[in-house]
Amino acid sequence: MVIEARALNKRYGDIVAVESLNFSVEKGRCYGLVGPNGAGKTTTMKMVYCIVTPTAGSLRVFGLDVREHPRRIKARLGVVPQENNLDPDLTTWQNLMVYARYFGLPRQLARARCREQLDFMHLSDRADTPVPDLSGGMKRRLIMSRALVNDPELIILDEPTTGLDPQVRHLIWDKLLELRDRGITLLMTTHYMDEAQKLCDEIIIMDEARRIDEGSPDDLIHRHLPPYVLEVRAGRALAADIRGRFPQISHQESGRSLYFYGGSSADFDGILSTWPQVERVLRPASLEDVFLKLTGREIRA
Amino acid sequence: MRNGLLTVTPAFFKVWLRNAQVYVALLKFNIIPALVEPMLFIIVFGLGLGSYISEIEGVPYVKFVAAGILGSASIMQATFECTYGSFFRMKIQNTFEGMISTPISAGEVSLAEILWGASRGFFNSVLVLSALLVLGVVNHWQAVFAPVFMFLAAFNFAALAILVTSRIAQMEYFRFYFAGFVLPAQFLCGTFFPVSRFPEPVQLFAWAIPFTSYVDITRSLLLDRPSWRLGLEAIYALAATLLFTEIAVRSMHKRLIT
Repeated sequence: MVIEARALNKRYGDIVAVESLNFSVEKGRCYGLVGPNGAGKTTTMKMVYCIVTPTAGSLRVFGLDVREHPRRIKARLGVVPQENNLDPDLTTWQNLMVYARYFGLPRQLARARCREQLDFMHLSDRADTPVPDLSGGMKRRLIMSRALVNDPELIILDEPTTGLDPQVRHLIWDKLLELRDRGITLLMTTHYMDEAQKLCDEIIIMDEARRIDEGSPDDLIHRHLPPYVLEVRAGRALAADIRGRFPQISHQESGRSLYFYGGSSADFDGILSTWPQVERVLRPASLEDVFLKLTGREIRA
Repeated sequence: MRNGLLTVTPAFFKVWLRNAQVYVALLKFNIIPALVEPMLFIIVFGLGLGSYISEIEGVPYVKFVAAGILGSASIMQATFECTYGSFFRMKIQNTFEGMISTPISAGEVSLAEILWGASRGFFNSVLVLSALLVLGVVNHWQAVFAPVFMFLAAFNFAALAILVTSRIAQMEYFRFYFAGFVLPAQFLCGTFFPVSRFPEPVQLFAWAIPFTSYVDITRSLLLDRPSWRLGLEAIYALAATLLFTEIAVRSMHKRLIT
């Protein structure tokens, strides 16, 4: 086990950030922590990389207790934080070398690693660029490179693709999958369910400081929802009308949208033939639907 | 003893190196402005005011005030570095969080910041001392040891500044610290006038601050006036500096590792 959390708790005064959390992370797999803002995801990750101390419970990383061996744990992991914390007064290359020094790499090895990681993230031609001159996507890629200079066994990523354009997101996804295939363990948070579905082997859904479910994306979808979703955009009156006519179809309401869930697309034939003009999308159920079901409004039959 | 100075390993020097690297990258912004204030002090107090005050404690005023100018140049540099500078790195640039996500510990970051502030104070005192030598204000060979005590004074103020930085939520609180402590210390600790000129409560305040001792020791080096009392002052000042450093490192650890 790379990470093992048992009855993990974190409190700040009266505020409970993480409550009775149990989870395990196996080597060479990608784990996603998802949940609404304030669910305790970042706090959980910060406990793993030893900058937040648990209030109670046990947390072992690489089999080592986070309270006893922070230095040994941190030497073996890479962190991609939510906030950009690059050194704006230094160049791309210097940013990497400073971190290589923090990890105690000998100079030759440090240089080789930094070159390798710049290349891996397609930043080689930006080595001498000052950080403020990098685009948002380049900064993110540089932070990724930096998290790799110590050749980590575990990489922790807090919302790695927030605010990035599709090209950079795809590049980062590619690289993360490549790292995972090399046997590196990944633990990430994200608010993008498509990202979680694409990258994560295992998803831990958190809400209000607790774990509310865990499983592979497919497993979570199958366990919580029928395979099809009909998303209908309708005003309040029409929505009430549809609900009234087809009370047997389970549904969820969110803003101006109604989500109907069915075992096959034929389940929605009645709705579609009664209101052929209504604005709608028929699609397979997704992780996002599960997320909304578990952390948002419950399905009413 | 889990979070104090005793847990700090030599790795802290890597953080000092990072600060030095940034300092060199921004050298032109760092050297010249830092010299303006001490130069003004030399002109205003030494040459301007000095022409009205013939002698203090048996020496020309400009010679008396040299130690004060050196001292205030050192502590002000260290204080700015470890208040606004450190706060900026901690809270705005998230630099500290990045560092402590590597094998570097929070205690190491704190001590490195203090040492860095002290180093900047030291550089400044060397520059100002060179200017004083060129101007002929300082002419005893013992003066070469003055930067050692200026380094210690700067270290002391860097530690106090880190302590304040570790406790405040927003930069504006530094104004209280400057108005309530730094400026009074800069002017009342025997820098520009002998402490004995002040009313008794002010004298007590001044001697309680180790800076007064550091300035006194520096002055006796510059004026070649050795005395046994200076040894006691040095012991007191060093002990206080060490204590403040320990408190500051622990406090910053508490701020960084929640």
